Amino acid sequence: MSGGAAARISTDAFTVAFVAYLVAVLAAFHHLAFRRRSAWTLSIALTGAGALAHLVSVVARGIAAGRIPLGNMYEYSLALSLLVVLAYLGLVEWRAGVRTVGGFVLAFVLLTLAVAALFLHVGPAPLVPALNSYWRQVHVGSMIVSSALLALGGILTILYLVKEAGERRRAARLRPIAGAGVDLGTVPELQLDGGTVTEASVPRRGILPPAEVLDRLAHRTIAFAFPIWTFGIITGAIWAERAWGRYWGWDPKETWSFVTWVIFAGYLHARATAGWSGRRAAVIALVGFVSLLVTYYAVNLWIVGLHSYAT
Amino acid sequence: MADARTHTVTPRWWAASVGRSVAFVWRSLRSMRTALVLLLLVGLGAVAGSLVPQVGVADARIAATFRDHPLRARIFDQLGLFDVYGSWWFTLLYTLLLVSLVACIVPRTRAFVRNALAKPAPARDLGAMRHYAEVVVPVPPERAISGARRALRRRLFRVRAPGDGRALAADKGLAREGGSLLFHWAILLLLAGVAWGKGTGFSGQAVIVEGETWTEAHASYDGQIREGRYFGEHHSGVQVRVDDFEASYRMTGQPRDFVTRATLFDQDGRLLDRVEIRVNHPAEAEGVRFYQFGYGWAPVIRVEREGEAIFDGPVVCEQRDVPDGVSPLQVPWRCVVKLASLRPQVGIAFELWPDSRGLLSLLETGQVMPMIVAYAPVMTWEAYEGDLRAELVQSASTLDTTAMRRIGSGVLGAGETADLGRGITVSFLELRRYTVLTVARDRGMRIVLLAAILMLIGLLPALSSTRRKVWVSAEPDGAGAVLKVGGFALQRGSRFEEEFARLVRDLERAAAGVGP
Repeated sequence: MSGGAAARISTDAFTVAFVAYLVAVLAAFHHLAFRRRSAWTLSIALTGAGALAHLVSVVARGIAAGRIPLGNMYEYSLALSLLVVLAYLGLVEWRAGVRTVGGFVLAFVLLTLAVAALFLHVGPAPLVPALNSYWRQVHVGSMIVSSALLALGGILTILYLVKEAGERRRAARLRPIAGAGVDLGTVPELQLDGGTVTEASVPRRGILPPAEVLDRLAHRTIAFAFPIWTFGIITGAIWAERAWGRYWGWDPKETWSFVTWVIFAGYLHARATAGWSGRRAAVIALVGFVSLLVTYYAVNLWIVGLHSYAT
Repeated sequence: MADARTHTVTPRWWAASVGRSVAFVWRSLRSMRTALVLLLLVGLGAVAGSLVPQVGVADARIAATFRDHPLRARIFDQLGLFDVYGSWWFTLLYTLLLVSLVACIVPRTRAFVRNALAKPAPARDLGAMRHYAEVVVPVPPERAISGARRALRRRLFRVRAPGDGRALAADKGLAREGGSLLFHWAILLLLAGVAWGKGTGFSGQAVIVEGETWTEAHASYDGQIREGRYFGEHHSGVQVRVDDFEASYRMTGQPRDFVTRATLFDQDGRLLDRVEIRVNHPAEAEGVRFYQFGYGWAPVIRVEREGEAIFDGPVVCEQRDVPDGVSPLQVPWRCVVKLASLRPQVGIAFELWPDSRGLLSLLETGQVMPMIVAYAPVMTWEAYEGDLRAELVQSASTLDTTAMRRIGSGVLGAGETADLGRGITVSFLELRRYTVLTVARDRGMRIVLLAAILMLIGLLPALSSTRRKVWVSAEPDGAGAVLKVGGFALQRGSRFEEEFARLVRDLERAAAGVGP
């Protein structure tokens, strides 16, 4: 296959994936609102098809550039959004059986892809010497995997905060009727650390899964991502030592990856701190999500540093 | 009376108060909440450092801030915002965080060791546990318990059977706390490695022209060096002879590779190694590492007065103020020869075009063709006489002409000689390249890497392992026994529900399995 043909296949597959996700978002929100199983089935099928086309786009891009397609922001965005989709299918739909958050996750994926196509697109090309290192593959690979998981955790955290606020309002509304001693915001079926709380086991209240489910899912996702992010920073430092002669130099990208690390470390600690678990911890995770986006986009696009070539 | 009271009571009151304050601060530092706030503040401080230009990372932008916004620059400077990571408040923050960390993990480590050494404690009322099951097995209690013990051991529980052999206590998941402690201790090790490496090491830049030999010593860096506080001037004396530097580019002008081919000798001149230093592939000799950093052009120039050489050697040319969006390949190089011994003093400023087609294309089309290789290089020169003002600190590649008068200018090709008048001639003998190497020693690097690996090793069980406790007791029931199983999960209780059910089935089968 010639480079030109591969590049064209990559853009065409991108379009197919984008359209598939777009329809999948509509189907997912339809399911969220009306709870028709067929809408959910359609959204999952389209998401799967989109992911397949997405994968084709990534692989074709690699063939066109003659290297692993992780060399610039466009390629990072492509890989990152694919991993968000896969993590969502694997962790949220399949493992946790939560079936009503797909629309929000896919909306984020669509946004990432749109930004990539509109603002970050560059043709496939080889890399400058500084990027020519196997440590880069390991570093970028782990950063992308953990970013995708952290982004998924961030989306789930936002949904948790929305749902939690709703549940609190509901509890406040019901308390005067039921008597002050009974907290109807957490009615008995929500045995928080006892019984298995899945969407199926909790009677439907509102359109999102119970806050408890979202919170736990977000926490598991972030706890899974955190060591990978740590590994990514370590391999980045090893590569920085080889390329620039120092393993840490407070370059903006380094600084922000550290800031994001610190914030998510804070989140993991907050969950173990009395009075900080729940909403406060979620707010920290939300700040971490923003910091992740800054690390990912802003540092490369607006802050001058050694990572600027990756735009 | 009043005096006596002041003398006897006040010191004690003071001591008690100070004691209380110290205790309060210590208690605060031990609390997770304080650690959390400090952690987030360190993050916030780091953010400030990424938004304001930092010393050593963006010196030019700091200078620009001082020029364009003097007041803001002074305020930033006072607050240490240009050097956040070395400022007193950032140091204070992370020092407090470290104290808090130590205050947290020392008692936790003690408790962990105690916990790990002690066997799981027996429990009285299994029925009150959140997870509880009763099963009837067709074997006597003692056999049922020994079967349960085997089953629990298979599942990596630590098991303790107190007393009469009719009960046991088991637990697992010590790796969670152990991993967490390893992670936190490794952070301290990492910081110790960083401090030691930076304190006893150095990092500098060596500019070496092809064919020349450079000695790793303080003076050779020409001021381009940062030495650790405890470095103590122990330079290695390694000699680097640059045999050749090669820069290759793609057709698009995108760089492909930069290679410095060098021969290394120890300080007594014994051959150590022949190396190729490229980006991402540093060379190492006697604990000092050499990294490819940059390169440039160095014309060899000879200046003679009345037939006698007063300057002879390569001159390092630099590029300054490369505009945004312009390839450095399209920008000429500048250098200066200063003849301070002459009266009046003479200075010659050169502008080097390593590929003369670059200059020609500029004259013809207004666009500079990228100059990738040396091809019929030319230099334009301007000579001045007067006072070089060398007593003022100046860059070697700029000429301060405020006290000088222009005495001539011209163009000089490689191998040509120009006459400046006053019996002075200047010759452009040949064009060489120079390489810029980052030279550094960091003895803490291995410790830092080890600590980082330990952090990861600790992090995995700390986040994934879960602590569980299980108690089993057996009571005779006819020919068989009633097995009572209680369980307790410290993390992820919802997951334990299923786990516990499986465990109970397992115990039942194991107990029955040893029966007659």
